[in-house]
Amino acid sequence: MHSTARTILAGFVLVCTQAAVAADQPVEVRDPTYAKVCSYCHDKGIGPAIVGRQLPTVYIENVVRHGFRAMPSFRPTEIDNAALASVARWVSESAAAKK
Amino acid sequence: MNTPQPNVLPKGVSASDFELALTEIRAIVGADHVLAEGTALAPYNKIMMAVPDEQHAPSAAVMPANVEQVQAIMRVLNQRRIPVYPISTGKNLGYGSAAPVERGQLVMDLRRMNRILDVDAELCTALVEPGVTYQQLYDYLQEKKLPLWFSCPTPSVIAGPLGNMVDRGVGYTPYGEHFLFSSGMEVVLADGEVLRTGMGSMPGSNTWQVFKWGYGPTLDGIFTQSNYGIVTKMGMWLMPAPPDYRPFLIQYPEDTDITKIVDALRPLRIAMVIPNAVVIAHTLWEAPCTKVNRADYHPGPGAISDEAVQKIRKDHNLGAWNVYAALYGTPETNAANWKIIEAVAAATGGTLITESADQGGRATQYRFDLMKGKPNLGEFDLYNWRGGGGSMWFAPVSQAKGSETLKQMQLAKGILAKYGFDYVGEFIVGWRDMHHVIDLLYDRSDAEEMKKAYACFDELLQAFAREGYGVYRASTAFAEKVAATYGPVKRDVERRLKRALDPNNIIAPGRCGISL
Ligand SMILES: Cc1cc2nc3c(=O)[nH]c(=O)nc-3n(C[C@H](O)[C@H](O)[C@H](O)COP(=O)(O)OP(=O)(O)OC[C@H]3O[C@@H](n4cnc5c(N)ncnc54)[C@H](O)[C@@H]3O)c2cc1C
Repeated sequence: MHSTARTILAGFVLVCTQAAVAADQPVEVRDPTYAKVCSYCHDKGIGPAIVGRQLPTVYIENVVRHGFRAMPSFRPTEIDNAALASVARWVSESAAAKK
Repeated sequence: MNTPQPNVLPKGVSASDFELALTEIRAIVGADHVLAEGTALAPYNKIMMAVPDEQHAPSAAVMPANVEQVQAIMRVLNQRRIPVYPISTGKNLGYGSAAPVERGQLVMDLRRMNRILDVDAELCTALVEPGVTYQQLYDYLQEKKLPLWFSCPTPSVIAGPLGNMVDRGVGYTPYGEHFLFSSGMEVVLADGEVLRTGMGSMPGSNTWQVFKWGYGPTLDGIFTQSNYGIVTKMGMWLMPAPPDYRPFLIQYPEDTDITKIVDALRPLRIAMVIPNAVVIAHTLWEAPCTKVNRADYHPGPGAISDEAVQKIRKDHNLGAWNVYAALYGTPETNAANWKIIEAVAAATGGTLITESADQGGRATQYRFDLMKGKPNLGEFDLYNWRGGGGSMWFAPVSQAKGSETLKQMQLAKGILAKYGFDYVGEFIVGWRDMHHVIDLLYDRSDAEEMKKAYACFDELLQAFAREGYGVYRASTAFAEKVAATYGPVKRDVERRLKRALDPNNIIAPGRCGISL
């Protein structure tokens, strides 16, 4: 699907803004860290699904800080301790993903 | 709290001197922003390279919040001769991640400095701090409804423009050669002094982000792939979002087709009919990202056979080579150029796949997103190919000539197979060069395989060097060996610069093989 523009230069601004905004609406309210980081792999079949599995929070926090195999580690400057606790709780308590 | 573990110490620094330095640094950034015990440092020691973790264990990590703190820390470290390894977003995965180049270096983690300081929508420029991620910049532009694009590397959700640029990384839009499209740096030197490159040196100048060269020698280059300073700001050019974006994929059936692909595409790339960094991905790069399970085709040990690769192509509609590129323009200019693309595809026997045809698979989607600078992590599927989290990028530079590519591919494939590894490679076409990027994937949880991966990388490096091929970038584990392939005079000049700018050898000694 190509963005189309009727006029050449005015189209530069209008069309791309609309296309970009429409594509990025959040679907449901999730933990912000999950939405902005984890979901890119764990909701896409790249890393294993982690929601709905009642994984222990300590385990989640440990994997985030240490990394695991191909999963990178995340430092407190990226996901601070409070955000980590929050995402671990959210993942641990979450129901299985709605399709 | 975890029980504190004994510190790893920087080379040649006593425990008491180190503690004194940490005390001074805590006073600068606050105790919460210094980590100095084993468990807390774990995220700074997770690597994918085929060497033991201990070889790249940090002694501590410090997380400054602003340039003044960086300056103050540098004065302490310089006085006390403590080596420091700066990282920005710290996601140099497969090149060393956030771990220091040498054991015991203190990591300076700049991720908290994450302000987008300026976006000029008229001039299409940005000024960012080291901790800004591509995702953050993307969200910012979306929020402000600014029709501006940037180029990003694949791990764009978690990596950032400054760290990527100082390691001379690449992306996939017309601005894909990132250092080329940077404009202006702010650098804290070893003694705490702050340099602004280019026009940034001039008081009152408003041209820092628009004119890269300034007056006299242009210094920006010496702060990339080096250890001469801590970069704390970077200017970058943004691209006006085009009214018409036409990504496409051309698939070719045979390995040997690479020759004609490159020879047919080079003129289009040089003339900028295709303005972006074309990617020519081999089957085994596409396969993992299309969810092909290696064990279904090759259950045993050793490298996958050519027959199995053929079968994967057939079963999953993949090319031997899969060419990704795009047109960026107006509907009219793109319509005209599209005819050229169709003609080239037809003349070279390629199958053309477009967005609207909806034929592309999973890999196609993340590629099409990347070519417009939309962050994703689609390529991390590469790591499901072998499993075990081992990865080292072997990335020799090639001329954009067909004959060269086939030679490089065959050389690499033979060496990889000897050690039981698969050829997972792609060519990223710059203007006249290509980055031939090979992911040496191995199981890092298997000690034997890790040794083999190291030996394999070493042989690749030496064999390519004998042919006059150098790599564009390398992991910290191979920094010294790679530097050695570039000959003694360059290294001597680099050391002289180091002596002049960092006489106490405190900034990332060993990075890119530079040390005193
Ligand atoms: C699946 C996958 C795909 C990838 N694809 C690409 C790709 O398409 N293109 C590409 O370029 N890379 C790619 N990479 C490699 C790497 O992940 C990216 O280059 C990434 O952008 C680098 O990490 P970063 O941006 O977080 O930089 P950092 O890790 O912060 O920095 C990189 C290095 O630069 C130096 N440095 C960082 N900040 C400073 C500073 N402020 N001052 C001085 N020196 C500094 C340090 O030595 C540091 O190790 C890929 C990796 C993976 C796993």
